[in-house]
Amino acid sequence: MTAVVVEGLRKAYGSRDVLLGIDFAVTEGEIFALLGPNGAGKTTTLEILEGFRGRDEGRVEVLGMDPRSSAVAHELRERVGIVLQDTAVEPYLSVRETIARDAGYYRAPRDVDGVIELVGLREKRRAKVKDLSGGQKRRLDLALGVVGNPSLLFLDEPTTGFDPSARRSAWELVRDLRDSGTTIVLTTHYMDEVQALADSVTVIADGRIVDSGTPATLGGRDKAFARIRFELPPGTGVLDLPLPTAPPVVDGMVHLEVREPTAVLHSLTGWALERGTTLGRLTVERPSLEDVYLEITRSFETGEAAQSQQSQQSAAVRGRRRKRSRT
Amino acid sequence: MTVSSPAPAAATAPDAARGTAVGRGRLRLVAHQIRYEQLSFWRNPQAVIFTFLLPVLVVTVFGAVFGGDQKSDFYFGLSGMQYYTPTIAAVSVLGACYGQLAIVLSTRRQTGMLKRLRATPLPAWIYFTGLLAHCLLVGAIDIGLVIGVGTLYGVPLPAHWAGLALALVLGAASFCALGAGVASLVRSAESAPALVQFIQFPLVFISGSYFPVHADALNTIAGLLPVKPFNEALLAAFTGASGHGWRGLGVLAAWGVLGAVVAVRRFRWDPRPE
Repeated sequence: MTAVVVEGLRKAYGSRDVLLGIDFAVTEGEIFALLGPNGAGKTTTLEILEGFRGRDEGRVEVLGMDPRSSAVAHELRERVGIVLQDTAVEPYLSVRETIARDAGYYRAPRDVDGVIELVGLREKRRAKVKDLSGGQKRRLDLALGVVGNPSLLFLDEPTTGFDPSARRSAWELVRDLRDSGTTIVLTTHYMDEVQALADSVTVIADGRIVDSGTPATLGGRDKAFARIRFELPPGTGVLDLPLPTAPPVVDGMVHLEVREPTAVLHSLTGWALERGTTLGRLTVERPSLEDVYLEITRSFETGEAAQSQQSQQSAAVRGRRRKRSRT
Repeated sequence: MTVSSPAPAAATAPDAARGTAVGRGRLRLVAHQIRYEQLSFWRNPQAVIFTFLLPVLVVTVFGAVFGGDQKSDFYFGLSGMQYYTPTIAAVSVLGACYGQLAIVLSTRRQTGMLKRLRATPLPAWIYFTGLLAHCLLVGAIDIGLVIGVGTLYGVPLPAHWAGLALALVLGAASFCALGAGVASLVRSAESAPALVQFIQFPLVFISGSYFPVHADALNTIAGLLPVKPFNEALLAAFTGASGHGWRGLGVLAAWGVLGAVVAVRRFRWDPRPE
């Protein structure tokens, strides 16, 4: 079953089009990553799904319900957990009090101490929120997102500001939630996070979906050429290599691109062993998720930069009415 | 818009047993919310000190300046402090309910706390009930403190406690509604205190809170605004005067309804509106 359905979704702020008709679906029980450059429309999409914003056109279903219908608003809030980009909690309550307060709002909440344990704030449970570090506050946010035991969880850049070990444990937590049946919709700027967590990925740029797949297949990554690089052994020339054509050599490194590296590697390493030499600094690489992501969004990044410059100017003219970009 | 799934079971169960269970749950949730709203307030030492220190300070200074037993026509046949104790109690309730609530709501909206709250199933009316209960409590403590200081200057205790309680409840509710209404109209937390004062400051002066007003035209106008009727209700409760209460309370309640209507129609939870 699908947890989220989006079809032909369009949204404009005044005369500025933010979403130009996007379609995607989130399968129940998966971790779905929504990626895109700043200003691409990620947060707008998320806020429409969360019910904070209306849409101009298109069909949106969240757990089978329309997030803008007031008749189902309460039920959706019971079943959807939201971790927003900004931390916003009462500074003078303790960690445990903050979680217990929100737990009281739900029909069937998780156990408060269990949630504290889950996000790794046990030592800090009596600390006041104002005395927490940025990463600890973010973990409190995560706790508030899951305390209602949601079947769908929205995570908007959940690990921004985490140190590496805190990120690993946050990933662990997100995976555990997925494994216990929670569907997760995630936005992030960290490609290693996407690689580690996401079951499926959709890339949005300039209000359109530009690619989608799994972390392994995005941008045709699985079909991309493998890149083999090694040092030309001393005393040999490129023409000595057991290859049909002479490959390029850059700074003494041989560069090869092949669709399937097994056979080529076999003959190259066999050749080196026969000669009693080695292939120094040998690497075999496929493009990383970050490589393909940058490739996919490159053309849009430049357009976006120009656009945001323009909007900054007009914002200055309007006189600082809105502080942040809403997209 | 279409809803493709059936409505939630809780909303459609008509039987009475279920209804009372839901009612009890709601009541518990109201208590839960009041408790945490109180906890958030009392934990913040600055908020507590300034909320209660200001009215005490003002009534003490007024007592030092206008103290003395002699009654005068200037104070409508009362002594200076017999007049100022109720009016300053009224200003403190106004500040605690209208001013503080407008500022607190704008700040909570700006920091995103209201948006986060909106993501939980807590019904809006329960959230506002928690705030109203808080304002009512603060207003009652403020009145108690002002009465306490008043007795030090020889002001007798209120003659009608029930009238005082009625005026406090109605005043707190109306001023809270107006506070929520103003919070619905301001865009940012920075502009909230300015707008609050812009409305409150002249209103308090023309309503006779800081000096009695003897201009008939001004009194007629002020009588149609919410602060003067509240002053008069407290004055009547203190002195035991009767007869001229209900019309004023009606005016006060009407302003409260207006504030509530604006709040219901215009209140925003999101710091960045569409």
